[in-house]
Amino acid sequence: MDESTIITKRKLPKKRIKSEHLWAYLLILPTVLGLAIFYVGAFIQNLFYSFTDLGSFGSWSFIGLDNYKRIFSDPEVGKTLSNTFEYVLLSVPLTIFVSIVLAVLLNSKIKGIGFYRTLYFLPAVTMPAAVAMVWKWLFNGNFGLINVMLGKIGIDGPAWIADPNFAMIALVIVAVWMGVGFNMIILLAGLQGIPRSYYEAASIDGASPIHQFFKITLPLLSPSIFFVMIMSLIKAFQIFDIIFLMIGKTSLAIEETKSIVYLFYKYAFEWHDKGYAAAISIVIFFIIMLVTIVQLKLQKKWVNY
Amino acid sequence: MEQRTYKKSIFKKIKNDRYKTYTHLFLIAGLLITITPFFWMVLTSLKTLGESTMVPPKLFPELPQWSNYLEVQNTLPFMKFYLNTFVYTFVRTIGQLLFCSMAGYAFARLEFPFKNAIFVVMLSILMIPGQTFLLPQFMIIAKLKLTNTITALVLPGLFSAFGTFLMKQFFMQIPKELEEAAILDGCNHFQIYSRIMMPIVKPGLTALAITCILDSWNQLMWPLIVNTSIDKMTLSAGLASLKGEHFINYPVNMAGAVLAVLPMIVIFIIFQKQFIEGLSHTGSKG
Amino acid sequence: MKKILLLLMAVLLMASIFVGCSKEEAKEEGPVTLEFALWNKSQEPVMQEIVKVFEAQNPDIKVNVQLTPYKQYWTKMETAATGGTLPDVFWMNGPRFINYAKNKMVMPLNDRIESSNIEMDKYPQGLLDLYTYNDELYGIAKDWDTTALWYNKELFDNAGLDYPTNDWTWDDMMAAAEKLTDVENGIYGTAARTEDNQVGLYNTIIAAGGHILSDDRLSAGYDTPETQNGVQVWVDMLNSGYTPTIEQLTDTSAVDMFTSGKIAMMFGASWNVKPFLDNENVQGKIDLVTLPSIKDNGAVIHGLINAISANTEHPEESWKLVEFLASKEANDIWAKSGVVIPSHEDSLELWVNAYPEVNLQAYVDMLPYAQMYPCAESSMWADAEGDILKQIWNAQISVEEGSKLIDEKIESILGK
Repeated sequence: MDESTIITKRKLPKKRIKSEHLWAYLLILPTVLGLAIFYVGAFIQNLFYSFTDLGSFGSWSFIGLDNYKRIFSDPEVGKTLSNTFEYVLLSVPLTIFVSIVLAVLLNSKIKGIGFYRTLYFLPAVTMPAAVAMVWKWLFNGNFGLINVMLGKIGIDGPAWIADPNFAMIALVIVAVWMGVGFNMIILLAGLQGIPRSYYEAASIDGASPIHQFFKITLPLLSPSIFFVMIMSLIKAFQIFDIIFLMIGKTSLAIEETKSIVYLFYKYAFEWHDKGYAAAISIVIFFIIMLVTIVQLKLQKKWVNY
Repeated sequence: MEQRTYKKSIFKKIKNDRYKTYTHLFLIAGLLITITPFFWMVLTSLKTLGESTMVPPKLFPELPQWSNYLEVQNTLPFMKFYLNTFVYTFVRTIGQLLFCSMAGYAFARLEFPFKNAIFVVMLSILMIPGQTFLLPQFMIIAKLKLTNTITALVLPGLFSAFGTFLMKQFFMQIPKELEEAAILDGCNHFQIYSRIMMPIVKPGLTALAITCILDSWNQLMWPLIVNTSIDKMTLSAGLASLKGEHFINYPVNMAGAVLAVLPMIVIFIIFQKQFIEGLSHTGSKG
Repeated sequence: MKKILLLLMAVLLMASIFVGCSKEEAKEEGPVTLEFALWNKSQEPVMQEIVKVFEAQNPDIKVNVQLTPYKQYWTKMETAATGGTLPDVFWMNGPRFINYAKNKMVMPLNDRIESSNIEMDKYPQGLLDLYTYNDELYGIAKDWDTTALWYNKELFDNAGLDYPTNDWTWDDMMAAAEKLTDVENGIYGTAARTEDNQVGLYNTIIAAGGHILSDDRLSAGYDTPETQNGVQVWVDMLNSGYTPTIEQLTDTSAVDMFTSGKIAMMFGASWNVKPFLDNENVQGKIDLVTLPSIKDNGAVIHGLINAISANTEHPEESWKLVEFLASKEANDIWAKSGVVIPSHEDSLELWVNAYPEVNLQAYVDMLPYAQMYPCAESSMWADAEGDILKQIWNAQISVEEGSKLIDEKIESILGK
């Protein structure tokens, strides 16, 4: 091993370390400052309000752990959390799997690849409101395109959105449809970092594309996959808008699909109990944080840098 | 001997073509699912009100009602929306590209006290529902008397934990040797960042740019809250005003949605050319 | 090179930030500018028209009309109120009113009204009551909506039946529904409007002699035979088969089915007037009468007011605007546009004549017996009520069981 490649911290002169620290702080300064002002402050404020009974217009009084006690005995919290977990478990692995396959396919050197990429990107670009409207029609139990098509091959399709047993599936389908385009961009970018020479060498050695995928692509893509996994999980836990745009308050199916952020939103903006909402948001935070920490720890096992 | 390699290369070519065909087939099959909703959206935008709410639904309009597109333009200052959204998106994206890459580089390649703590705190921001930030951010803007300005619109969005995390991952993919070689050459960290790292990380920057543009384009709550005049609205916020409390004019709304999507498609077509392999580092390995 | 580029970008960034920072100082001299907030796109042009007239009469006041879509309106108002930038005058509805009044975000107007020329008896009393809190009135109704029975003349002609009249009872309606239903062709006699209590349930509860919330707004009236009867009629309707099933109605809205000519009769609110008449599928084929009676005639009424922010910097000018908005002059402009029912009695005729081809008078005819839409401080009670009602409509629990649950739940929420 060449001496020059072993540059450990200990061997660096103090001046080198100090300079590194200085540069580091300078480089992170704008972001950290901006985030501190606009986000971290709000976060801490939120934490504080979770111990109060904050109402609509700013009046509050301290109530200690009451909100948290309430959360533990609130059946709606339990129900929405279980719905959210179900949604996360169903949609995230599926989305990531499809995104990876798609990104690899869209990285091929075939004619019209730009055309394909653009079309696959479309779902990510459309406004959620429009997306919900369109899928609502597609999923219509009687006349929706999906059931009409299923009918043609002799299957009596369910009432996707009205039926509580199927609404979650419909939701997951839409979530995957919307989410793939976004992940695909990041994974495509990650794929650019893998030199073609590796694949060529493997081809010469007689490895099949599938083999190459598992031995070259996946390991070298793992940092991007890791990123996509963490972000997809965080996003999935916070699902809210699309549920209401597509399924609607008056449907029975809402009971099986309403998410924890929906509950947060209700308490914060409709039921004038911002303190309780804040407590709910902190609970959400802890859950997501826990999941993320587990992933961060596991990354050493499978992510190559 | 020659005949054998010749056969081998033909065999390989056939195998290659086979994979290419499979790829095409697969992609086209997937497209059917991906595109259908758009197809429906565009068709609906060309229907009359009656046709769009028809039960059972009508697939094709009798006559394409291009007037829906005109109506969107007439009832809303669409050009202003495009302009505002463009400015908003542009400033936000440049800001994030700059700040997030700087911070991402630092987190990925440099060592400094509290590094992990700061990073975790940053990530935490992503883990609570976004609506939590609306009010505190608005209060800051209100105190600074910046309501209803482009500045207010743009300011909080210049900083992104997501973007920083994304760039960090990309920077971590770069081999250490490059950096060490640069240090030996006498570069300081900013130079390493700007001259060496940034070019390599171009795909990552492209991805960040696209996601930032996407996010800015679709932003709804913040523009609505911070702006009061319709002239300052962005596309999503402006189009949302087409929805009534009890009634939605589907064709006109869909026309608006289609108009909103078009520029994004153009932008993506331009950007996606960046995703051409082999573009970057040849690396120090073969 | 790259460094220069980066530096340039940074400078551009700073510049653009500070360009926005150079905000004009508040114009102290010159006209006072009032901020006015509303949420309805189709009413906005009418409002602009009214504003023009107002500004002509008051050259030193300018009004800036802000439109926010309904879904985001309240979040925006609340944020603005907390941040001290609540518009001077803004639309207020029943469900949100008490919260704003209790927290002193809106201005009580008793004194100003008394010393003005406003004739209080020209406005629906139910609405004046709705916006009274602690004996203070916070606004004059600007409009109102209620529900009528719409019917499809063509479907009636095809079945050889006489059209509905104002004297119909619920039983008359269901009898006709039986003859009009033709499931094979996807035609139903009626549609159960269980998705919106303002259009459906509350009307029948009142018509059946019951009540939804008690007068003191601390409890609900579901556990009475009259109210339960008002609920039962919808359950019976759903079981009769003369309406699409609840699942079908969840998937496809009753309104869309009506405008596709698939429903013969349906409860329809006044905000449907323009959308119905603009829809080429049913244009010319529909008309309306007052709601059928059950025990008696009954209907629920709701309307908006133009509220004044309690912390406005221009209370006098804001009042002038609100006073003008309550006048016959402004109400006539609303009436002629047809988009909403004006609250001023004398303007009603103009509205009825805005669409002479249909019997809009039906809505006006219900005014004498229309009761206030039930409201409390937050909508939590209504959401809980809705959840239990859902179970009743989907035949998961009986009307009696559900009613008891509703009363319990509502009392636990409101009684706090």
